[in-house]
Amino acid sequence: MTLSPSTGSGETDPGGLSDDALLARYAEGDPSAARLLLDRLAPRVLRLAYRLLQDQAEAEDVTQEAMLRLWQIAPDWQPGGAKPSTWLHRVAANLATDRLRKRRGVALDSIPEPDDPSPGAAEGMIEADRRIALDTALGQLPDRQRVAVVLRHLEGLTNPEIGAAMGIGVEAVESLTARGKRRLAQLLAGRRDELGYER
Amino acid sequence: MSDDRNREDRDPFDARADAPADAALDALFAEARDAAAGPLPVTLREALLADARRVQPLPVRVSWGARIRALLADFGGAPSLAGVGAAGLAGLWIGIAAPGPTADLVSSFWQGASGVAPGVAAWTSEGTVLDYTGAELLTLLDSETD
Repeated sequence: MTLSPSTGSGETDPGGLSDDALLARYAEGDPSAARLLLDRLAPRVLRLAYRLLQDQAEAEDVTQEAMLRLWQIAPDWQPGGAKPSTWLHRVAANLATDRLRKRRGVALDSIPEPDDPSPGAAEGMIEADRRIALDTALGQLPDRQRVAVVLRHLEGLTNPEIGAAMGIGVEAVESLTARGKRRLAQLLAGRRDELGYER
Repeated sequence: MSDDRNREDRDPFDARADAPADAALDALFAEARDAAAGPLPVTLREALLADARRVQPLPVRVSWGARIRALLADFGGAPSLAGVGAAGLAGLWIGIAAPGPTADLVSSFWQGASGVAPGVAAWTSEGTVLDYTGAELLTLLDSETD
């Protein structure tokens, strides 16, 4: 698999162009722009979608849908405003939360939070890598807590933005984020050696 | 000393101590944010490329007319082309019509100019114009214009 962006043969190296400029080139019909853009943006979108959905097939579907919407909006894109990457992550977050709602068949905010399971549920982890540990622990959170924590702490969305994406109020977002972090701490407790924290 | 040991042994994710747990989590979040994402699965990448090609607008073809108009715009647009064209046609007409010695043309606007703008024959014969000094030429001009 080739993931390194090609340099193209234009007057300037397209690989050095901003996302805005590449999107404009795509809209003008430059075939190399799409390849460069998707190699830059899609992997992070896929990671975000997987973190939210905890399902590879659904995460790939969300990535494909989000990227398709980016291609479609390219001719009307206004450079200098929101970054394409930021816009794309918002779209992916919305698509993923919609899927979580449909998956449950009810509104995401109407699902009661389960009681916190006992600490140490992450013992089944076999990887020592911190990021894998974090992703594994995130996967063990209830959906709403996971979405709130991922969007707040990994995507940098504000609480009102998260509330809009999840269809809940800001106070509910704050509560979910706090409970999610507390639960993550419980899941990761006792794993200091594996996670590289020296005594 | 024992306090230091207790602090060192404390689990960074110990939920009973909120501040250290938060700090450790924040460090993990920061690492996760900055980390490069893994490669795309090959099939997904191919599907994304196919989507991109399917909905991509056609390349914009620039016609020769548009290129010429863009070039002209740098020099003042179509009006400038009219001026340049008129000058070119005038030059062409002069070249074809061969109106004769330019001294006659000049003298038709400025009586007496033939005295200071002699014909080719006068230039080729020694001692006609070159014998005049600057002061003499001015005197000659004054006398002609009076």
